[in-house]
Amino acid sequence: MKSDKYNHITDAELLQNFYKDRDNKWLGILLPRYTLLLLGVCMKYLKNEEDARDCVQQIFLKVINELHKYKVDYFKSWIYMIAKNHCLMKLRGNKNASVELNEKIIPAVEGQTDKTDLVEKETLLMKMQQAIKQLNPEQQECVNLFYLQKKSYSEVSEITGLTMLQVKSHLQNGKRNLKLLMGIS
Amino acid sequence: MSDELLNILSNSNKDIDNQKLMDYLSNKLSVEEKHEFEKILLDSDLASDAIDGLNEFKNKKDPVAFAEQLNRNLQKQLEKKKGIREKRRFKDITWLYFTIVLIIVIILIAFFVIFKFLG
Repeated sequence: MKSDKYNHITDAELLQNFYKDRDNKWLGILLPRYTLLLLGVCMKYLKNEEDARDCVQQIFLKVINELHKYKVDYFKSWIYMIAKNHCLMKLRGNKNASVELNEKIIPAVEGQTDKTDLVEKETLLMKMQQAIKQLNPEQQECVNLFYLQKKSYSEVSEITGLTMLQVKSHLQNGKRNLKLLMGIS
Repeated sequence: MSDELLNILSNSNKDIDNQKLMDYLSNKLSVEEKHEFEKILLDSDLASDAIDGLNEFKNKKDPVAFAEQLNRNLQKQLEKKKGIREKRRFKDITWLYFTIVLIIVIILIAFFVIFKFLG
């Protein structure tokens, strides 16, 4: 993969520049960052390589023609929503329906769970240990192996005998349940 | 151990590096790198869905080739749009100059007629 001389410019800065002068050159830098990811997303939903490629092309066109109409703050979340909606519309065969592209996405912010804002570290640790015990056995095992023993999906899969998909699912659900048990949204 | 426990709940909003993504798919990452990458996947629905989809390509090298082609097409599309916009701008400016010249000519003619009439 070629290195990008614009790597130092963040998505937010590129968006800002685009809204300032409406010059599509900023989209020419921003969109290629997501080509591979969009290709994967489209392939996941459409299950066809040719369709996935066409879909990415159409998503690019949509962005070029319509991004200026909306105030997008978090491009990654927005384009993911566009891609999913586009794929779902294609699967439903409803190519003419327009989808509202308004962004109402609250992204996950790094450091959202600031330990020092919640409780003392020790109390928090105790709560976490208790919360983990309340997970079902599969989620507990996967969380312990992945987060505490720093195993990869494939290693967790080998140890537990679960499929990679099951491991991923248990980790996602386990993390979500832990947040609920800890009272974190 | 305590940091790992607390870090379970933190969200990683790191951007996915395309090269790392392909290395992950080709199984070229070390165990530690794989683990760190999978932590990012757990926090990113986009990346997680993308990995699922990219794993379905018959030839693992195809996604990169397809992505490069799509990027080339994108640049062509953007150049085309730029060309159309510049042509439209040139047209608008040409009409503006024409209108200004016309107004000046009309004023000069009017001036000449009035001057002749009075003189």
